[in-house]
Amino acid sequence: MKEIIMLLVVILPVFSGILMPMLPFRTRRQMLFYLEAVVCINSVLVLMLLFGLPKGSLTLFRFTGNLSVTFRMDGLGALFAGMAAILWPLAMLYSFEYMKHEDNEGSFFLFYLITYGVTLGVALSENILTMYFFFEMLSLVTLPLVLHTRTREAVLAARTYLYYMLGGAAFAFIGMVFILVYGTTSSFVPGGVLDAAKIGEKSLMLLLIYVLCFCGFSVKTAMWPFSAWLPKAGVAPTPVTALLHAVAVVNTGAFAVMRVTYFSFGSGLLRGTWAQKLVMALVIFTIVYGCSRAVKETHLKRRLAWSTISNLSYMLFGVVLMTPLGLTGAMAHMLFHSFMKICSFFCVGAVICETDRHYVHEINGLGWKMPKVFGCFAISALALMGVPGLCGFVSKWNLAKAAVASEMPMAYAGVAALMISALLTAIYMMDIVIRAFSPGKVSHSEGERNVRDSNWKMLLPLGIFVVIMFYFGLCSGPIIKLLTSFSNGC
Amino acid sequence: MQVLMLGSIGLPVTSGVVLLAFSLSQRLKAAGRVERTEEEGKLQEGGAWLYAYVFIALICSVGFSMAAAWWGNGSVTVFQLLDTISIYFHVDETGRLFMTIISIIWPVVGIYSVPYMRREGGEKRYYAFFLLAYGMLTGFVYAGNLITMYLFYELITLVSMPLVLHNGTREAVRAGRKYLFYSLCGAYCGLFGIFFLYRYCGSMNFTPGGTLEYAMVSGHEDIVLLAVFVMLLGFGVKAGMLPLHAWLPTAHPVAPSPASAALSSVIVKAGVIAIIRVIFYVVGREFLQGTWVQYTWMTLALLTVFMGSMLAYREQGFKKRLAYSTVSQVSYILFGLSLMTSDALSGALLHVIAHGFIKCGLFLTAGVFLHYYGYGRVEQLRGIGKKMPLVLGCFTLFSLGLIGIPPTLGFLSKWYLAQGALQSQIPVFSWLGPMILLISAFLTAGYLLPVTINGFFPGEETSDLEHTGQKDKTDWGMGISLLLLAVFTLLPGIFPKPLLQFVSEAATIILK
Amino acid sequence: MNFVCNFPFISIIITLFSGPLCTILSGKWAKRVNEAVIVIVGILSACVLGYVGGTGEAFVYRMGHFPAPWGNEIRVGVLEAFMGFFFCVIMLLCMVAGAREREEEIEESKQNLYYVMVNLLLCSLLALIYTNDLFTAYVFVEINTISACGLIMIRQNGRTIEAATRYMIMSLLGSGLLLLGLCFLYDLTGHLLMSNIKEQVHILAQTGQYHIPLMVSVGLMSVGLAMKSALYPFHAWLPDAYGYSTLSSAAILSSLVSKGYIFLLIKIFYRVVGFEVLTGSKVANVLFVFGIIGMIMGSLNAMQEDQITRMIAYSSVAQIGYIYMGIGLATQEGMVASIYHVISHGATKSLLFVAASGLTAASAGGTRYRNLAGSGYRNKLAGIAFTVGSLSMVGMPMFSGFISKLFFAQAAVGHAHKMLPTFIALAISTILNAAYFMKMVISIYSPRYGGNEEEDASYAVQDGWNYGEVSHKEMRRNGGKVIFMKDQPVKAAALICFIVLNFILGLNSEPIIRMIQKGLAMFG
Repeated sequence: MKEIIMLLVVILPVFSGILMPMLPFRTRRQMLFYLEAVVCINSVLVLMLLFGLPKGSLTLFRFTGNLSVTFRMDGLGALFAGMAAILWPLAMLYSFEYMKHEDNEGSFFLFYLITYGVTLGVALSENILTMYFFFEMLSLVTLPLVLHTRTREAVLAARTYLYYMLGGAAFAFIGMVFILVYGTTSSFVPGGVLDAAKIGEKSLMLLLIYVLCFCGFSVKTAMWPFSAWLPKAGVAPTPVTALLHAVAVVNTGAFAVMRVTYFSFGSGLLRGTWAQKLVMALVIFTIVYGCSRAVKETHLKRRLAWSTISNLSYMLFGVVLMTPLGLTGAMAHMLFHSFMKICSFFCVGAVICETDRHYVHEINGLGWKMPKVFGCFAISALALMGVPGLCGFVSKWNLAKAAVASEMPMAYAGVAALMISALLTAIYMMDIVIRAFSPGKVSHSEGERNVRDSNWKMLLPLGIFVVIMFYFGLCSGPIIKLLTSFSNGC
Repeated sequence: MQVLMLGSIGLPVTSGVVLLAFSLSQRLKAAGRVERTEEEGKLQEGGAWLYAYVFIALICSVGFSMAAAWWGNGSVTVFQLLDTISIYFHVDETGRLFMTIISIIWPVVGIYSVPYMRREGGEKRYYAFFLLAYGMLTGFVYAGNLITMYLFYELITLVSMPLVLHNGTREAVRAGRKYLFYSLCGAYCGLFGIFFLYRYCGSMNFTPGGTLEYAMVSGHEDIVLLAVFVMLLGFGVKAGMLPLHAWLPTAHPVAPSPASAALSSVIVKAGVIAIIRVIFYVVGREFLQGTWVQYTWMTLALLTVFMGSMLAYREQGFKKRLAYSTVSQVSYILFGLSLMTSDALSGALLHVIAHGFIKCGLFLTAGVFLHYYGYGRVEQLRGIGKKMPLVLGCFTLFSLGLIGIPPTLGFLSKWYLAQGALQSQIPVFSWLGPMILLISAFLTAGYLLPVTINGFFPGEETSDLEHTGQKDKTDWGMGISLLLLAVFTLLPGIFPKPLLQFVSEAATIILK
Repeated sequence: MNFVCNFPFISIIITLFSGPLCTILSGKWAKRVNEAVIVIVGILSACVLGYVGGTGEAFVYRMGHFPAPWGNEIRVGVLEAFMGFFFCVIMLLCMVAGAREREEEIEESKQNLYYVMVNLLLCSLLALIYTNDLFTAYVFVEINTISACGLIMIRQNGRTIEAATRYMIMSLLGSGLLLLGLCFLYDLTGHLLMSNIKEQVHILAQTGQYHIPLMVSVGLMSVGLAMKSALYPFHAWLPDAYGYSTLSSAAILSSLVSKGYIFLLIKIFYRVVGFEVLTGSKVANVLFVFGIIGMIMGSLNAMQEDQITRMIAYSSVAQIGYIYMGIGLATQEGMVASIYHVISHGATKSLLFVAASGLTAASAGGTRYRNLAGSGYRNKLAGIAFTVGSLSMVGMPMFSGFISKLFFAQAAVGHAHKMLPTFIALAISTILNAAYFMKMVISIYSPRYGGNEEEDASYAVQDGWNYGEVSHKEMRRNGGKVIFMKDQPVKAAALICFIVLNFILGLNSEPIIRMIQKGLAMFG
């Protein structure tokens, strides 16, 4: 029974999305009600799954032979699915308000809804082929969202987006085929599935392919040589940038890397090899690079996008430590970063929505006009900086703990990179906060007079995110224990 | 006991937050109104009830924290922050000492602020952060483990930043930002080290003598030393140690004078406390003695002493000169710590007290001149002694203290520092240190005494001041606070016995 | 001997004679005859497929009951029957979809001649598939060439004549080489029937006699057929031929004609040379290298193309490269992958051609990127079909292209030296495919830019929360006309069939793969 629900949560959003153009909505309200209802029902179903993890798996269909699209829910998947289930209804609510000011709402919501199902598909995938399948689908269904405004900029961004996505998948594909052929099974098994007997002499090949595969999947997380797409994709409406390009899509990349590293290739085979060092060097570089670009960037959304790039590499850093501790840290950061980044994006979105200002220098003194929004932004900024008491510190702590415990010189450098990045984060985030609240500068121009806090549809998600950030920051024991149990045996 | 401890942190924080919320809501109301002039905004500030509220809150907090310091020796675990680490407070010798200094300085500065901030405006916000800063400092001083200390270290930075950028000019905002980023840079360097200490130390709780586990460390000495060094540099940022001292001369001049006094006399010491905690309570001095870390640290501290004095000597902006002086003086303390001997440590702790009172006094006098005459540069102060003999008299006393002339506390601390340096058998530094201290003392005299001399004996060309014809009109709040500080500078210097005893006991415990 | 065994022969004969029959019919009747013939042949092939699948072994049909050295034979296994069936399906869909274009683009008086050519083409394809005799194969290769030429140049717009001439020259060169190789082989073995030659070749290979002539003849035949199927350096004829001929010609040529040659080559490898001999020779390596070069170069050329049909044509070069790469792996899995790709590419490429024509029609005949902007809204079905085809080409899971990519990669994994080049080539080629196909897809779903910016701004897409309006706004912008499904029911049906076919191949590939494996086993 529970296995059927797994299928349902993937299918339901996809089909209700496809159904949308055929439904006769008479008013906007009806459509919004339909959307929120679907999303909420789906989230409730996902939460039901979380509270009673189904043991079995469910095969949807077979490609060929033993290659099938199969769903199963394990700890890591549950984490990702749960995250999506919490974020989506809130993001939907937020976008109702945001999209009022944009055109073509219908097609936007259609794909926004479908993306939910596809993301859950990635989370619930039982084997590498299923994951790859949904991974590709995700690039595809988010494309119209990037393309949404149909401006020239959007079209160019969409092209870049797609090239990067498909290119990344092409390299990830190599790793997948390797696993299919050399693995004992294509399923995800903690500790890896590679058959040592089959590989024999080919360990060099194995490492090379791991590096290719890693790079392929990390295109979605915008790791350094492949990071150009993410800031460009910021032309999409803010709900997309916030939920998809700061959380769902990019986390899918990190999730896939976790799967491949710990559940397919096996961290034991990779620990201490040149492949690990190479990817770690890339990741560490990205951590610093993303932040530095964020400091340089003056466009609000792009600045946050660069920040996302850096933060995603925190997760990858945890992953490439190749220890269960590292995986715990990576998972924790995946979870916490979602809340922090979506909160800051939503705040920026609210500002854009209310004042149509897109650049950092334009927001001087706005904090006094929109105190709630900027208050939430300030808290998310502190969380991203890693102030203790907020969730960012917890994940950073776990990552650094794992890095120090790994006793690799390069991991030490990684810890240093984390700290440098934290400082740069402080610079680019607090810059905005200080500007917004810079005292003595409340100008009273015509345009600003009517600026005020957004309404409850935007503020409710923000409030919930802030509460979650504090909760996980102050009471991280249980969740870390849970994550540790997930990563045991990897 | 628990109530006392939590109250001493919670009370100022809560009252500060309430005040902040109140000021914010008022500001928003004002911003919403269409017609709003600057005067109106000013009028809404201040008022007797505000002072009453602030002082009742402050005195209660001080009462709580002093009670916690002297009548209890307990510790409180508040809650579990991370899986293995909790927010934990503990009172010990160091905490007691520092808390007492802070609890003296804070009300004094508070009294001074009343007339001063009335003119500056934004009083509610100022007092809100003033109270918050007190709460955070209490938490920081009483912190019982590294993580708790780190938490409050960051929070101090965050709540003291608004004090720096209080007046909202472009320059102030820039200075506030610089202060924030420098401090955070230091904090993250500290955090870097904490990660490593977490692995190689048995416990994060502060234990005199340190908790380093040598069995685990063996083989990883290099990285641990590096981590400790990075922590030193990091926490040294707050204390204005050399490579990252630049925020001090930027932040102090633009902040309101009471704020710079608090910043310079107390918040800078947060760096000192953090370093004491790390070196003596977590890592342990045995591990560091004779390593490159100790020598580099000493070199940096001495270099800062010298450079700070030189820069102060060259500087003409009055508050900026004092800021450079702080850079130099705090490194006296750091030098004392780096020697890691009992006498030097006593000297360092004494200098913490001495510098706390003296520098606070100096900044407050600078504030008086700025407040009444708008004079911010040294050459403008020519002949000021005719107008404000009392204020300049206090200034002279503070100067003498900072130089280290006998009846003041400053003499004692420097004496112990020099003695500690000479006693330590560290090659080169045992004689180089006192020498540099001496040179720096001369420089200190060189940059402080001319103000007094020119103030009282202006010579010929002091036209404009004489014509104004006013006599000393110092507000009673300002006067009282200056006199109090003068007393605190002088009294322990004349009757040093109990203080010396306490300090040397503390030093023995710390060095165990 | 079951009655069904006559079917392959019957279908060849029907198509052969329906050709001349069409010369005396009017265009309209010729069309009907042609469609009927394709349907009948398709049904017959299906029957054969059923029969062979049932018995589980190939049968030999002797024409005229002459024994081996003199007689001519047909040999049918599962794979042959399936290919016959598949070719008929694709051809029918292509013919149906391109009917309107044919009426518009071909002179009234020549309409019936077109069907003559198509019938002969089908006949030669069937013969290539079924025959067990090398010389017969050569004869039908020539017939194939001639009829294909006719299909190219029947639409007379200047470029096609040149294209047809080029095609003719390259093809004849190819058939010449094939003939040479065939002669050598005959000289060495004294046989023309494939089974007999194989026995002799086997003996020669074992004794090591005539090693070089044998290799030369294998090489000649490979090169000849590669030339005819447009393997990379010999592709110059292809873009013009596919790009300018009428729709059904382009679709048939790209998806069937070159595939017939490839099938023949595979058959030669299995049935004439023998797989062991092939693996021992260097011929496979050469094909592998050229296949990979073709994959990359074809895509690079396609990226530079501005015109949609020529772009699709260049993409064919790349896809042919895939197939030769698979053959070049010289493993059983590689062959399976190649044959699967023959099928998948056949289905996808014709879909793309048909969809592209639909988009062109909705853009007032414009074929360039700029002209096609927004056409996905004006002709929705064609837009969807083009997207599906593109995704399949890129290798998106769920579509047929993914399966063949997967099989190529899996086939390569076992190979010591060819694994990494294959992987890298597949990855790069995927990215390149994405670069031009997806660029086109994005462009057909976005408004036109450049030119008058104010005008662009004033036409900014706005449609509130309902759906229908975009297309109308878009229509006004680009001056194209809106095409609805009900305007062209037949074409729409063909497109839907193509899309469904693609999904079937992509989602339910297992039976087909098993059939291919079984068929290859029957070869040996």
